[in-house]
Amino acid sequence: MRFVRDYLAPRLIQYVLVVFCGITAVFFIPRFAGQDPVLEIIAQIQTQGSSLDPQAVRSLMETLKELYGLKGSLFEQYLTMWRRIFTLDFGPSFFQFPTPVSQLLRIYLPWTIGLFVTSTLLSWILGNVIGGIAGYFSGKSWSKILDAVIMVIRPIPHYIFGVVLLILFAYLWPLFPAGGLILGRNVTWNWNLVVTILRSSFLPALTLVVLGGVVWFQQMKLLVQNVKREDFVEYARVGGVKERRIVFRYVLKNAMLPQVTQLTLALGQVFSGVLIVEMVFSYPGIGLLLYRGVTRGDYNLVMGITVLSIFTIATSVLLLDLFYPLLDPRIRHR
Amino acid sequence: MRRVALVIGLVLVLAGVAFAQLPGGVPRNETLIVDQLTGRVGTPSNFNLWAGWRWQDRGLQQLVCEPLWTVDYATGEIICGSAAELPQYNEDFTKMTIKLRQGVYWSDGVPFTADDVVYTIDLHIRTPGLLYHGPMAEFVDKVYKTDDYTVVVELKKPNSRFHTHFLDRWGCLRIMPKHIFEKVEDPVTFEFNPPIGCGPCVLKDYDPAGFWTLWERREDWQRTPTGMLYGEPKPKYVLFQAFETEEAKILAQLRHELDMAQFAPEGLRVVLERSDTTRGWRKEWPWVVNIDPCITGIIFNNMVEPYNIKDVRWALTLAINMVEYMATAFDLMAPVSPIHLPPVPAYVEAFFNPMEEWLKNFELDLGNGEKFKPFDPEIPQRIAQAAKERGYPVPEDPKVIKELFGIGWWKYAPEVAEKLLKKHGFTRGADGKWYLPNGNPWKITIVTDTNPAHHHYRNAMAAAEQWRKFGIDATVNATEAFNSLHLMGEFEVGTMWPAAEPWGAGVDLSRTLDPWRSSLVAPIGQAVTLGPGGAARWSNPRLDEVIAKLEATDPFADVETTRLLGIEALKILVEEMPTIPTYGYCGAVAWDEYYWENYPGAENPYSQPYQHWPNFKYMLPFLKPKK
Repeated sequence: MRFVRDYLAPRLIQYVLVVFCGITAVFFIPRFAGQDPVLEIIAQIQTQGSSLDPQAVRSLMETLKELYGLKGSLFEQYLTMWRRIFTLDFGPSFFQFPTPVSQLLRIYLPWTIGLFVTSTLLSWILGNVIGGIAGYFSGKSWSKILDAVIMVIRPIPHYIFGVVLLILFAYLWPLFPAGGLILGRNVTWNWNLVVTILRSSFLPALTLVVLGGVVWFQQMKLLVQNVKREDFVEYARVGGVKERRIVFRYVLKNAMLPQVTQLTLALGQVFSGVLIVEMVFSYPGIGLLLYRGVTRGDYNLVMGITVLSIFTIATSVLLLDLFYPLLDPRIRHR
Repeated sequence: MRRVALVIGLVLVLAGVAFAQLPGGVPRNETLIVDQLTGRVGTPSNFNLWAGWRWQDRGLQQLVCEPLWTVDYATGEIICGSAAELPQYNEDFTKMTIKLRQGVYWSDGVPFTADDVVYTIDLHIRTPGLLYHGPMAEFVDKVYKTDDYTVVVELKKPNSRFHTHFLDRWGCLRIMPKHIFEKVEDPVTFEFNPPIGCGPCVLKDYDPAGFWTLWERREDWQRTPTGMLYGEPKPKYVLFQAFETEEAKILAQLRHELDMAQFAPEGLRVVLERSDTTRGWRKEWPWVVNIDPCITGIIFNNMVEPYNIKDVRWALTLAINMVEYMATAFDLMAPVSPIHLPPVPAYVEAFFNPMEEWLKNFELDLGNGEKFKPFDPEIPQRIAQAAKERGYPVPEDPKVIKELFGIGWWKYAPEVAEKLLKKHGFTRGADGKWYLPNGNPWKITIVTDTNPAHHHYRNAMAAAEQWRKFGIDATVNATEAFNSLHLMGEFEVGTMWPAAEPWGAGVDLSRTLDPWRSSLVAPIGQAVTLGPGGAARWSNPRLDEVIAKLEATDPFADVETTRLLGIEALKILVEEMPTIPTYGYCGAVAWDEYYWENYPGAENPYSQPYQHWPNFKYMLPFLKPKK
């Protein structure tokens, strides 16, 4: 009971509050940003050629407001939004009307999950393994060279790194496509399709793995360097425990805790997508979709994506809080 | 070892398909690949362009639809597509007769007839969710056919411009296939997939993520207006592809994977420098398309003080050094325009040249009987000189210089601007800064687009720089809410289009002038319905009179009257300067001649040059394969 009162209940309350405040903020912020989705569509139709009569434009505005669910007071729209959230129906995308937001999410989310989750896990594993070893053997010359190389790569922005890869592997040595995926409307799963997806995802994945990996590497290296100087490691060494056991059971295991936390939080950000990488490689992910939604004042689309994002991150943190005692005995005993 | 072999194997597989096929598996040398102007398609499976914005420039308007009439601003002609001739009005403009081209078939083999036209108009009258419901319901009393190729539209009230709803210049009411839509329960939600049209191509494949759409030439292309007018479209396939970044587009064109593309000027320069096979509209500097039908510039909110004062607007015009402005805005590559029109060929002949003498003699009243002639015909020469100083190969021929840089613009006359401002109580402080009549410092915030490559943004930066030099605290606010703010009137100065695009062909300026009708001016906080030009919230009784006279003319039968009324209106706009036109929009397009050649160019302007315009279908028969 004490666990529920002192540990579980406060965290659940915090979880509900975070989700409620986050979603409320997401509802109001775009509406106060000065952008009107109906006017955005009207401006597009006008500036891109159509010569509608003023009467027709006024009638179109009314129709769009009706269709978009933008009629009624702000409070009524707010209540409608909560109703929609509980049924996971975010309404139609304004800019891509009449396509429902849920359909857009179904189309784009798998691509982001495929790219983002795979590359995050890969960069996490590589960064931690190499960083851990380099940290333990930080006195060796190869470790210092590796450190210097990583120091050079780390500050490179995703955009620049992606374009460099494109120039190298899509232009000078044209192994990979420069223009994104070439899947058609009637996709049939076969070896060719797998190769096509691999080819199109390779460079964006490489960008994320390398630039993500160097961050994990540096964090892990520092953690390991600190842990290996701890008394219990020294004690084990003096006690004659084998080096291999010291590395994996004493040092790496202890250094991993913050990295696991960070990984959970990183994976929770899948709904934000990886906008810059998706842009550089014309990758059909959720980041680009969100960007379009923000720039076009597409409230429903922004709402749909950010609501899922808030849920995912808040739930990740909650689960982490709940499971952390299992990973870290110090928390368990407090 | 096995792991190494696996990695090597994977790399070999990837390398083996490195030069993989195009979407749909079509051969490259039979495919024309073009850049999609409006980016990734948001509704990839929906081709119903009658029911909303459907990214119609993905090939729908260019290759599938065949409108009754299309303007071509390069030739100055109106092309009769599925119509056999221009529309005929009765004397009081209450009846319009449309003659249709015979022998045209829809792409599914059904004949195109008057029934389709009647059905389209009728359906629009009945269906509020369709884009053109408003004008059809407002104007059409009766629509009927007199034979299979003649349609008569009887109007509820006189309208000499009713045909413009069917005149394609990047949007119009295109004719629907009756045999498809009459079976549809709800024409608004119907996806129209695959699309059926009278254009020369049919849908072959598309990307569900919206990055590309592939079209195939119809086997019966002879039964389309394009085929009848110009012959066989040479590419068998046309692929529209969207690129999210300029860099990817540049790389694709350098790899010969993109034949036609529009870039920012910097991107165009890179492509032309790096590729031996790429050319621009002009083969020499300044390369860009300088006959675009848009005019760029500065827009004032005429309902906000002090921009409601004509002299203030003129003072801000004369505070601009146009040579410096053009150097900042577009690297001296665009034609300046002193009137609210772009310098498309038809307008140079009909309006620019005939107005030149009037512009030279035009005077501003500075007060106390003092007059000033603001027009400066030497500006093009000075721009040419500045370009030479930047090292560009500028032609010497004055005729070419005029063609490149325009007929002139307004003098840089800060001392005259000062007089105009002081007339209204503005003061200049000891610090050289300007103060409003109420004593507050004069601050101008120019609201503009966020895209640095867009002419809106470039105009804003150049204007702010000029006005700062003049002593006004001018800044730029680039915001995503740019359109909404302009339409609602929540701005003082901005860089939306200073005037609506005209039709581009013929001499009818109704499209440019209409947004300035007194009846359309909306109070601040209420959206204006015709944004370009109209966002200035300006009107003038003299202009209302001209618009009324224009409405009473037949633009086809009374060409000269229409033209003269246009000039009369343009003079009023110069006198009042409700917005400042600066230069004609320039398109930085590049064409790769590796697979295809004979694109239209300045030396051979047989068609408008963009792949995103509806006329693109008429360009295809002129292209020649090289591989």
